[in-house]
Amino acid sequence: MAKIIVVTSGKGGVGKTTSSASFASGLALRGHKTAVLDFDVGLRNLDLIMGCERRVVYDMINVINREASLTQALIKDKHCENLYVLPASQTRDKDALSEEGVERILEELKAMDFEFIICDSPAGIERGAVLALTFADEAIIVTNPEVSSVRDSDRILGIIQAKSRRAQDGNEPVKEHLLVTRYVPKRVDAGEMLSHQDVQEILRIPLLGIIPESESVLHASNQGNPAIHIDGSDVSEAYKDVVGRFLGEDLPLRFADYEKPGLLSRLFKGK
Amino acid sequence: MSKNQASKPLEIKISTVVAVAALLGDTDLATLAASLKQITGGTPDYFEDDFTLLDFGPATPAPAPGSIDWPKLIALFRSYRLNPVAVRNAPAALDGEIRQQGLSIDTMQQPRQAEPAPAVPVPAAAAVPGPRPASASTTAMVIDTPVRGGQRIYARGCDLILMGMVNPGAEVIADGSIHVYAPLRGRALAGAGGNAQARIFSLTMEAELISIAGIYRTFDEGWPKDLAKKPVQVRLIEDRIDLTAIAIK
Repeated sequence: MAKIIVVTSGKGGVGKTTSSASFASGLALRGHKTAVLDFDVGLRNLDLIMGCERRVVYDMINVINREASLTQALIKDKHCENLYVLPASQTRDKDALSEEGVERILEELKAMDFEFIICDSPAGIERGAVLALTFADEAIIVTNPEVSSVRDSDRILGIIQAKSRRAQDGNEPVKEHLLVTRYVPKRVDAGEMLSHQDVQEILRIPLLGIIPESESVLHASNQGNPAIHIDGSDVSEAYKDVVGRFLGEDLPLRFADYEKPGLLSRLFKGK
Repeated sequence: MSKNQASKPLEIKISTVVAVAALLGDTDLATLAASLKQITGGTPDYFEDDFTLLDFGPATPAPAPGSIDWPKLIALFRSYRLNPVAVRNAPAALDGEIRQQGLSIDTMQQPRQAEPAPAVPVPAAAAVPGPRPASASTTAMVIDTPVRGGQRIYARGCDLILMGMVNPGAEVIADGSIHVYAPLRGRALAGAGGNAQARIFSLTMEAELISIAGIYRTFDEGWPKDLAKKPVQVRLIEDRIDLTAIAIK
C-alpha cells in the first residue's frame, strides 16, 4: 500500500525542497518506486533542484484540468531508476489546485504501484501547503534550529492535526517526524544556536535526523543534482541516514556534536 | 497604526469571535423547540444573542434540499436568543438555499479534541447547543493532545484540563479554571465569563499571557526567577493577579 509523505515546515527557506529531492532520491536508490510532487504552484523549483527543468512539458495543473495525462506529465529522473517527478505549474496560481484534483492524482499514482509519494509543500499555511498535507499518511517537518522556524513548525503541526484527511475522518493520525536542517554543532556549543534537543523539547515529535549546514547544498542545487548524490559529503551521508531511519533502521545520530579539532589541526587549519 | 486612520471610512480585518455550535441531530421543528425549551429551562435570557453555528453533522439522514423551513428554523433559535449566522456540515446541495437566508457556510474544522463527541442520549431532545466536552464529566473539558501555536481551545461553562503542552502562540480559554499538567507556554484566559474565582495552574509555568476574569498580565521580561518553569498557581486576590509556587513534595 502506497505511503503519502508530506515534507513541510511552515517557514520558508528551511530546506523542504532540498530535503524532498534527496529523500525521494534516497528511497528510489533503495529500490522503491517513488514519486515526488511539487505543490508550489507559480513558484515551482523542485524541477530545478532535481535537474529536470528543461524536460517539463506538462505539470500538475495540466493533469488536474485533464489537459494531460499523469503519464505524460511525470518526468523520469535521470539520476535514479524508480524515481519520477511531477512538476508544479509556473504560469498558473494556487487557485488552480483543487482538493478533488489532487486526490485523483494521488489515487492514480497508487494504482501505478508507487510505493512512496512525496509531496513537497510550499512555505506558508495557504492552499498549496494545506493541499500538500491533506492526504498525507506521514509528515516530515523540516525545521531550522532557530526560533521563528520552530514556531512555524509548531503551527504547521497544529494544521496537520486539524486539516488532514486522517484527522477529519477520525482515522489514525498522521505520523510526524522532525528533520532538523542547517545544523551547526559549533554554534550550538557556543550557545548561539538552538540544539536539536531544544527543538524537540518544544515540538515533541520523534527526531528523524539532522542535516548539517553545508556548502555542498548550494553546489547541488546549482547543478540540478540532489545533495544525496554527492557521495562522501556530510549532507549526503546525513540524508542517507534519514532514509535508513525512516525505513526502520536503528542508526546512531551523526553530525550532532562538535568535535574540537586537536591543537595541531587548529594551528594549521586556522578554523 | 497609520496616521491616516481618521480619514479611513472603513477597514476590513480578520477577527475571531466565540460562537455557539448547535448540533442538530433532528431537523423537525417541534422536536427542536422542545429541546430548546428543556435546555434553557424556560429562562428567556439563558443565551445572550450568541453567534450560532447550525451544525447538521449529527443529522441522520442528512437533510434533503428543500426539506428545511429555514425562516421558521432561524426564528426558533432567535426566540431563544441564539443568533444563527452560519451553517456547518450540511450537504452541498443545500448551499444555495442556505446562502439565500443570508447565512454563511463554515468549512473550517475545529482542532481535534481528546475524544470524539459522545452520541447524545438526551430524552426526546435532539439539538444540543454548546461545545463538545471530550470527557464524560460535565464539569471539565479534558484535552490530551498538545495545543500547537495558532490553535485555540474554549471550555464554555466549565474548567479546562490540558494533559499536553500549550505552545507559544496557542490560546486556551475557560469560563472556569485552567489546569495544565504540562508546560504552559502560550496564553491562558480563565474565568472568561467573569468568574473571578477561577485559577490557572501549570506544572511548568512559562505562559506568554495569563488572564483571570479579564484582568491580565504579560511577561515581557519573563517570569520571576523563582517561578519560571516551575509549578505555579495564578489567581486573583482583590483584583490583583497573584502568582504563587505550588509546593510539590
